[in-house]
Formats: sequence, structure tokens, C-alpha cells
Amino acid sequence: MQTTLFHIFRNTPFGREILLQSLYFCREINAEPILYLPEFVKFLIYFDHEVVQIDLDRSYLKFKDTARENAEAILKNNGFEPRFFVPKNYTASNLPDINSDFDYMTCPRSISDLSSKIGLGFIGSRVRSIVQHAKFPILIPGTVFKQWESVVVFFGGSKNSINALKAGYKTAMESGKPLDIVTFKNCELSIESYKGIIESEGLSHMIDTIRDWRFLRKDKMEEELMNINHDALLVLGAYGHGIVKDVFFGSTMEKIQSIMPNNLLIAGTKL
Amino acid sequence: MDLFVIRKKMQFFLFKFDQNFLLLLIALIVGIFSGIAAVGLNSSIAFVSEFVESFHYTWYSFLFPGIGAALSAIFLEKIIREGSGHGVPEVIYSVGKYGGLLRFRSIFSRLVSSTLTIGSGGSAGPEAPVVISGAAIGSNIAKFFSLNERQRITLVGCGAAAAISAIFNAPVAGIIFTLEVILAEWNSVYLVPVAIASVAGTEISIFLKGNQIPFKSSGFSIGFEDVLAAAVLAILTAMVSVLFTRAMEKNHHVAEKTASFFKLPFWLKAGIGGCIVGLIGYFLPDSMGEGYHSVREMISGVYSNGMTMVAICMLAKILTTSITLGWGGSGGIFAPALVIGSFTGVLFFRISSFLFPELHFVSEGCFALLGMSGVMAGVLQAPLTGVFLIVEITGSYEVIVPLIIVSTLSSTLCRYLEPASLYLKELVEKGQLLRPGTDSRVLSDLKISELIEKDCINISPDLLLKDVVSMLKVSKRNFFPVVDKDSMKFIGIVKFDNIRPYLLNPLLYESVFVYQIMDKTIPTIQYREELKDALDLMDKRHLFSIPVLDDKKFLGLLSKATILDQYRRELKVQTSEV
Repeated sequence: MQTTLFHIFRNTPFGREILLQSLYFCREINAEPILYLPEFVKFLIYFDHEVVQIDLDRSYLKFKDTARENAEAILKNNGFEPRFFVPKNYTASNLPDINSDFDYMTCPRSISDLSSKIGLGFIGSRVRSIVQHAKFPILIPGTVFKQWESVVVFFGGSKNSINALKAGYKTAMESGKPLDIVTFKNCELSIESYKGIIESEGLSHMIDTIRDWRFLRKDKMEEELMNINHDALLVLGAYGHGIVKDVFFGSTMEKIQSIMPNNLLIAGTKL
Repeated sequence: MDLFVIRKKMQFFLFKFDQNFLLLLIALIVGIFSGIAAVGLNSSIAFVSEFVESFHYTWYSFLFPGIGAALSAIFLEKIIREGSGHGVPEVIYSVGKYGGLLRFRSIFSRLVSSTLTIGSGGSAGPEAPVVISGAAIGSNIAKFFSLNERQRITLVGCGAAAAISAIFNAPVAGIIFTLEVILAEWNSVYLVPVAIASVAGTEISIFLKGNQIPFKSSGFSIGFEDVLAAAVLAILTAMVSVLFTRAMEKNHHVAEKTASFFKLPFWLKAGIGGCIVGLIGYFLPDSMGEGYHSVREMISGVYSNGMTMVAICMLAKILTTSITLGWGGSGGIFAPALVIGSFTGVLFFRISSFLFPELHFVSEGCFALLGMSGVMAGVLQAPLTGVFLIVEITGSYEVIVPLIIVSTLSSTLCRYLEPASLYLKELVEKGQLLRPGTDSRVLSDLKISELIEKDCINISPDLLLKDVVSMLKVSKRNFFPVVDKDSMKFIGIVKFDNIRPYLLNPLLYESVFVYQIMDKTIPTIQYREELKDALDLMDKRHLFSIPVLDDKKFLGLLSKATILDQYRRELKVQTSEV
């Protein structure tokens, strides 16, 4: 079956910019975008064990009359057949249900929460909740369209960073871009130890495809992040455990997201 | 230690117990929390009502229900962002479609909004909001412990049952309401946890409020003429129930049209509705708020208004409730149904006594009870809830025979006039009512993508008939999808029936191509569509198999044999023990 990416379309210049990034991602990994043109500012996404309510800001309902036309034009210009998601079920008359049968989803920072609207780059509770329960990775595009030349996975050895590695590897293979690994070192584990973790998961074939593995200092994280290519797709595990917990969990993930202008792909726990 | 670690530790600790025991333990917790929510809602409504009551005789008192409804709508839409309405259909929908997944915010959203609406004088009941709250408590506790779908549904039922039990001090009614209305499944698997939660909810209510019977009534001596009269009363309660249901629906549409025509914001719409209720209530105070005060008077036989006023109050209560809820206020229909029912019973008693003075009916209070039961059973189309709720909240077991008669008859008559209850009407109209073990429910849990037969033998349109015949010899398949080799685009299908006319004529084997005999008109279905739609299409076109596409790309075939196989498995899962 065709790999699909779910995108909530916003008919504004910023929304169209975000769509271009989704389309670029789709083109790179040979996926098909499925657009949702919201009729209401709220909708529910039902996962296996959670229901997440997304509250969009009013800008998503602006210029509704031309939304479909503009979206179709952008899709066609980028070589995609327009496909739209039309909700069939409604929990309440103004609350459509969105199923979670997609392979990827774009979560622009604007659907995170209020603070993100002014560009602080905070991953809000909504996106966090989606990431936590989704069986698919979440694409969080940067504010302006930017092509990526490589895939950088933040790997710390946890189960979720393994998920991130899998998502990053898959993306790198499908897009033909080189795969790099970045590890924030907070203990004296050697590169061999990290490779051992990957091998123990039966993913040793991925090790051979890694172009570069860099170790950065955790205590100088903000400065170290600047050394990462800004034209790379960053792949993160959403919630870490054990040794990576300090590196990738919660606020650290948000720190990476707020500092780096790159597109992010976040792999959740249920991946 | 963060929440995640605490949760994991608790899950580890709890899952060392037997699964069923664990469920009972969690049901108890759900019952306690739901009971607290119910008592909290009751107390907060009483507090706000008391405050508003002090302004009752002022000229501007009609504004209070408007302000309350507007604030309630703002709270739901802007602060909690949930949307208004009574919400029990949402719980039923969630149980049927998504295994009882409810949002965390639903735990408290309706409690606050209905306090504002009902406390300020809006005509609605606190029962439905507290059912939603209880159900959401159950759902979210189930999520916290990562319980499976069936266990989650059980806990949703536990929350609802405990809420009703606590608010009415009626554990049996709570159980019956849950099994009859919310879960619609009389399964022993649900019964024990729901019963435990009900008892917990009731005990919490007794502990916090004392052991009160909401509508204490004196002993009634039921005669044969009363039993007969109950059967006739059922006709009236059924008519009133249908009138109430339709008034609710109509007012909702009127409110939507008015708001759309005048471009009213949601809060103003609710406010206007509230003010209209306030104006009606200024002249007819019995039509406002919960209305339990007048119910108590009617049951005690001391309701002083005359027959005409009783009829007017009944109609006014229908109107105020439908305006309150239809225009955007928050609350439920449980309490209004009881009030309308008691008016109906009293009206019936007075008319009967006037027309047949030689007959000595038991008492006005008893008929008020019967009316309550009849309208409750009619509106909810839940006869047992109607019977047991009234028995428990009045402590009048001696009226059980006429109660059963009026409830069952009223419910049956309503079903003729309105095929679905007020709670289920919208879900039925949208085709979203998925009751356990029903065809729609089983189908909704199966996905086309899981049922696709991918081991098809795809053929190219430029293939010769002889090639197809040679495939037939080694294949057990009767359908051969014709697909473009490069793009995998679906072109048509060759069925065994298409080949049959040429089989006995080998001369044609070398001259007939697939594209000449294939069926290009066969309907297709997208893999993301719902299985029910696919089956409807197959039934309509008398198809045994249908090609499944991803846009134009052929994915495989969907056949009725595979569907039946999976259908039976799913049915077993859905009707199995926890």
C-alpha cells in the first residue's frame, strides 16, 4: 500500500509554506500526501488507547472558499494527485473524527499550543500527546521551506531512540540521503557500546549505512547543536528512558526543536 | 519521581493480581470518584440556585438563566473547548465506535457548565452531565492503567452507573440505566463491576449527604382500577414523550437557523435561549431549573395549581427544556422528564377523576409517580430504567405493577412513533449507532486493508486467451484482475464466466485477447473506505468479490468468504469474556 502522509492544510502563506515542506518530504520518501481541509477548529484523533483533541487556531478556517482550489494547485504543481481526507464520523456535530491510519503526519508548530503561534518553537501538549500515541512518526516542519541533504538521527540507546533510528534509516534509504548519527554523551559509553545496542535489536545492517557518528557534549548542548547541519532532517525519539532520558526526554527535545531551524521527524513510543 | 514512573510501577503492582479482581478493584475506585463528582455537582447547583433565588422576585430575574447559559456556552467553547449539548449520545457513540475512549476534559467540563445553566434557572437536569463525568472518569482511569478495550468499556459503564446511583441514591437504577442505555448489553461480565461501582457511588453519596430518598412517598394501596388506568396513562405519557422528543429536535433546528440568519455568536444564542426560559419561568416558576420541588409537592398530593395550570406547566416545562438545551445550555433530560412525567400523571388523575367521579383512584401522588415512569421510559425508550428508578427514588415498591405496565406500554408506543430514543436519534440518523454484537458494530471493527486477498493472479490486457486458460488449469481462482504491468493501474477483471463462452472453441484461444473479454464495468472500492460501504456495494451489484484499489493502483480482491470468516472471529471477540 502507498505510504501516506496526513497534512492539515491552512490556506495562508505560512500554511502553503508548510505544505511545500510536506510535499518535499513526500517526494523524497515516495509517499502520498492526504490533505485535510478543516471545517471546524476542533477535531479528534482516535488512537488505540487515547483520543487527542486538536484545537486549531482560526487561521485554519480562513479563506475556506479557495482552500481546495489552492491546495489542488499546489499538489498538481508538485506532481501529486490531489487527495483529500473527508471525515465520515463525528463525535459531536462540530467535532469530526480523524482516523489514525496514516504512515506519517505533519504537525506544524501552530497546532501545538498558544506559545507556538508566536514562534517560540515549543512542542505543546497536543503534539506531545499525538507523538506518544501515534503508530507513525510526526513531521514538524521548520518555519520556512528548506530542502534537506542528509538525515541525522539523535541516538542515545533507549527504546525510543531505536525507534528514531528505524524511522531515520527508513527515510534515508527511501530518499537516498546519507544517514548520520548524533549522540549527546552523558556517560562514558563508547561507540562500540552504542553499536552493541543497535546490534542487540537485530538492526546491525543499519550500522553499515551510517555515514558519520558524532558525539557531542551534553553540558554544552546549545553550542553543540549549532554544529549540526542546518540542512538535515533531524530524527528524534520522543520519550527516552534510562541513559537517554536526560538527553531526549521532554524539555531537551523541545530545546532541540526550538534551537534548530531544521525539519524534525519525531518517532513516538508506539512506532 | 514523574507520573510515567508512578504509572508503570502501579501497573506492575496491579497486574500481579488476577485480571478480574483488578477490574473490580478499579471499578470501586471509579465508583468512588464518580460518586464524589455527583455529590459535587448537586452541591454546586444548590449553591448557585440559592444565590439566584434571592433575586427571584426582581424584574430582571429573567436575565439570570440567560447569563448562566451564555457563561456555560463560553466555558464549554472557549475555556474547555468541548462543545455544548447533553453529551450522553457522545458516551454511547464512544462505547460503540471507539471502545469507550473519552477525553480527560469531559470529567469536569459538563459539571461546571451544567452548574451554570441549571443553577441560574435553566430547565435541565444534572444527571446526564454527571453520567458523562463518571463515564470519562472510568475511561481515563482505564487509559491510565492501559486496560484493554472491553475493560475500558466496563469502566465507562461503572462511571455512569455510579453517577446515577449517587445522584439519586439509587444503586439498582444506576445498574439498570447503564446496562439498558449506555452499554446495551446484559452481560454478566459487566454486571459485577458495574454493581460494585454503583454501590460505591451510593455509599459515597450517603456518606457526604446522608441517606435521603429524593421523593419519599407514603404507602399506596393499588386497586384493579388503578392498574387499568395505568394502561391508559401509558398512552398519554407516550404522546407527551414523543412531543418532548420532537420539541427538543425542533428547537435545536430553530436555534441553529436563527443563529445563522442573525449571525449570532454561540454565547449570545445560548443567552437568548436562557432569557426566553427566564421570561417563561417568571410567570411559571415550576418550569425552571431541575423542578424537583414541584415533583415533591405532586407526589405528596399537595400541588395546589388547578388542572389547566398543570397542563400549562407541563407544556411550559417541555418548552423551557427544549429551549435551554436546544439553544446551547448545558444539562440533561433526566430531571425534566421526571418533572414532565409527574405533571402528566397529575393531569391524567385530575381529568380521570373529573370524568369518572364514581371511580376511586388511589391518589394523585401515585399517578405522579406513574407519569414520571411513563415519560422517563418513553423518552429514553428504556422501560426498566423507568420502573426501577421510580421505585428507588420514591421508596414505593407497592406501585411496581402499574409502574411496569405504564413503563413498558409507554416505551413500546413511543418506539412506534419515534424509532429511536432522544439519546439515540441523532446517532441512528447518522448511521453511527453501533451496539455490541450488531452487524454495524462488527463491521466497524474490520478494515478493508486487513481483509484484502493479495494472492491474486494479475494478468495483462494484451494476454491471449490461451494463456488465461492455461492459468485456469493450475489456479483455484475464478477472478483474474487485469492490471497495467508498469503502473499496476487497475483496468478490469476477467471472471470465469467471461471465459466460459470461448472454452469449447480452441480456435479462439489464439485470437482473443484479455482486453476483449474483460469486464471493465466492475465497481471498485478504495482500501480506506469502510467495510460496510463495500458490502453494501457488493450486495447492490450482486458481487462475490470486488477489486480494492489505492487510488488507481490495484491492491487485491475483497471477497465475501473472507469477510464472513473475519466477521465470525470479530463477533467472538466482541462477545467474549473480559
